[in-house]
Amino acid sequence: MAAFFDPGTAPRDGPIEWSGDQGHPDVPSIVTAVTAVERDAPRVAPRAAWKLTLGRFLSDRAAVASLVAFASVLFASFAGGPIVSAIVGHNGFEQFPYATNINLDPSGVWSHVPTTQQVHLDQYGLILPPPKNAPRTLMVLGADGPLGRDELIRVLDGGKASIEVGVFAVLISALIAVPLGCLAGFYGGKVDALVSRLTEWVMAFPLILFLVFATVHLGPTLRPIGWGNHIPAGVPMVALLVGAFTSFYPLRLIRAQLLTLRNAEFVDASRMVGASGLRIIRRDLLPHLVPTLLVWGAVAVATDMLLEVGLSVIGVGVQSSTATWGTLLAQTTGTIYNPGFGAGVHHTTWHTVWPTLAILVSVISLNQLSESMRRAIEPWRR
Amino acid sequence: MKRVGIVLARRIAGGAMTLVAIVTVTWLMYWALQPAPGRFVYPGGIRVTPAELKDGAHRLGADRPKTTQYLDWWWHLLHGNFGHMWTGASLHDNVLTTVPIAPILYPALRETLSILIGGAILAVLISVPLGAISGRRVGSLADRLISVGALVGVCTHPIVTGKLLTQWFGIDLKWLPAGGYCSFVKHSIPPGLGLAPTSQPCGGPVDWTTHLILPWCTFAFLFLALYTRMIRASVAESIHEDYVPTARAKGAAERRVMARHVLPNASLRVLTMVGMDIGTALGVAVFVEFAYGFTGFARLSIDVMVGDPAADAIDLPMLLAVVTVIALIVVVGNLLVDLLYAVVDPRTAAADRAGRTKEIAAGVM
Repeated sequence: MAAFFDPGTAPRDGPIEWSGDQGHPDVPSIVTAVTAVERDAPRVAPRAAWKLTLGRFLSDRAAVASLVAFASVLFASFAGGPIVSAIVGHNGFEQFPYATNINLDPSGVWSHVPTTQQVHLDQYGLILPPPKNAPRTLMVLGADGPLGRDELIRVLDGGKASIEVGVFAVLISALIAVPLGCLAGFYGGKVDALVSRLTEWVMAFPLILFLVFATVHLGPTLRPIGWGNHIPAGVPMVALLVGAFTSFYPLRLIRAQLLTLRNAEFVDASRMVGASGLRIIRRDLLPHLVPTLLVWGAVAVATDMLLEVGLSVIGVGVQSSTATWGTLLAQTTGTIYNPGFGAGVHHTTWHTVWPTLAILVSVISLNQLSESMRRAIEPWRR
Repeated sequence: MKRVGIVLARRIAGGAMTLVAIVTVTWLMYWALQPAPGRFVYPGGIRVTPAELKDGAHRLGADRPKTTQYLDWWWHLLHGNFGHMWTGASLHDNVLTTVPIAPILYPALRETLSILIGGAILAVLISVPLGAISGRRVGSLADRLISVGALVGVCTHPIVTGKLLTQWFGIDLKWLPAGGYCSFVKHSIPPGLGLAPTSQPCGGPVDWTTHLILPWCTFAFLFLALYTRMIRASVAESIHEDYVPTARAKGAAERRVMARHVLPNASLRVLTMVGMDIGTALGVAVFVEFAYGFTGFARLSIDVMVGDPAADAIDLPMLLAVVTVIALIVVVGNLLVDLLYAVVDPRTAAADRAGRTKEIAAGVM
């Protein structure tokens, strides 16, 4: 505390001398008034800008609410699946034949289903009811469809893959956009013309078509990449392609910001003392981009998660056996290339609603987070 | 007016350049992938011999020099001819039959444009009043409700909206048809063909509208949310400009202040956004069409992009047709936006719109 507030050791101006020709000493001029305030006020070190920003962020109710909401989504996605598995005693991959009825319609919310793995048939090949004393297990949101897996655990696990897609995609687009944007925005000229023309052309085109084309042709090579259950196979591919094709948005943002910043006085000052272009970008300009990238990043995670949903629904995203919010929705809508797979049969509206709710909570909280960050960073722009 | 003419000419030239660039890149990409066009003539997986592949490519004209193919394609396009697609080529008695593209492309385009134009009109009609109400008094109850609704709209994937709407209004309540497209012009089958009166194919303006109401709503839900947010921000900004109290001081009614002074300013941003969202809208149309079982242009373009990955074959003429049409839609749409821009704001008619960056919006595409 002493560093910020220490009236005792704060340096002071010398005593104010009054001379006769300055007017009546009892009526001090505005200059003396200000000086007096300065003399008597405790010296407070200016607070760091990021602390002010953080303070503004934390005093915004919507900001804290969205932060808490997204943190709980993160917790539920990464820890929720294992926790629920430990409580109910089965995981999201196990299939329970008796979690569906004889028409393969899944059991409903909060149902105790027999864990019998072997389906018993009678002499005519019809499915017999499970044995009376069969051990039962709890499915909180019921089964996910004809395969009879736990819907709740799949929604929770799906969040893990979906959020991974969003976060990795944002990292990849930042990796692409920051160097290119710096080149285009700082150096301008031909590089800038080329980059902006390219972004214009690509952005004019429906992004989903690029993504479909790329996944179809690169899918066989890239889709198997993954790391066990931590990063399910297919997630890196979707993240890479989505990140690469959405990198044009941050690229334009960075370019636009640097175009104005490169003429700033501190850049001239840096150049005057002999800093190279690379050093100016690294030391003087990149810190200015951090707020922009944060605000963009939060929205982009949400957008990329929605793109993953789109790819899964078309049927070219993560393989359908892996739970993501996209593949869970694709199970009920059917994919474009396998419309009969689900398409409302053996699924209820609830199977659309659960992943949708999960997507809504995370995407809305991310959007609000981004908006609140923008407000905290630029309080003058309401 | 002369300046507008110059700007227009520059825009048309720029649009033509964009078209040429996109088509050229498509050709280059196609050659870089080195697919085997012969597979369209000889479908047979691994059993196809190299000689057959060569023969197939020859019959499709894909073994000509690349410059010839490229220039030939442009020559045909300038005559309005998209050529014949390779998918569905069949070889009988040493005669190759191929399907022309135009009869497939145009009806598909009609479906998609029906969705796009109707949905866009609906989105603008709803979002302008909502945005105005919301932005006029930031923080009021109406503003909060509208903002939350818009946030939900922006964050909902169109496939989900479509799925839920078709489930509730189409299947459960049976208010509207759950899917399918009806052409605007009725082609009735003459009586006497043994058809029951009820099995007449649907068509005509009424059927067309009822089949399109849900797709329009689905399409509009996303964009109306995006545009409401934008108009709200714009109105909230300009409501504090000096000209608003001035207008009020002159005794203008609140309605007139909004309609004549505040909203025209917002419309500039809306127009800029519309120009940039045309590509996005085509992407959204993919999901709208899928949710309602349309087989329109968006679906067609996805089909072409997917192609037949197992056969490692890309239907080049169809791909080019799709790419050209998308580029044309985007270019012509942007031209229209520019013209409207000049009408709404003569001051900036000559200014370049290129510098404006797209606001990051949690869109889908």
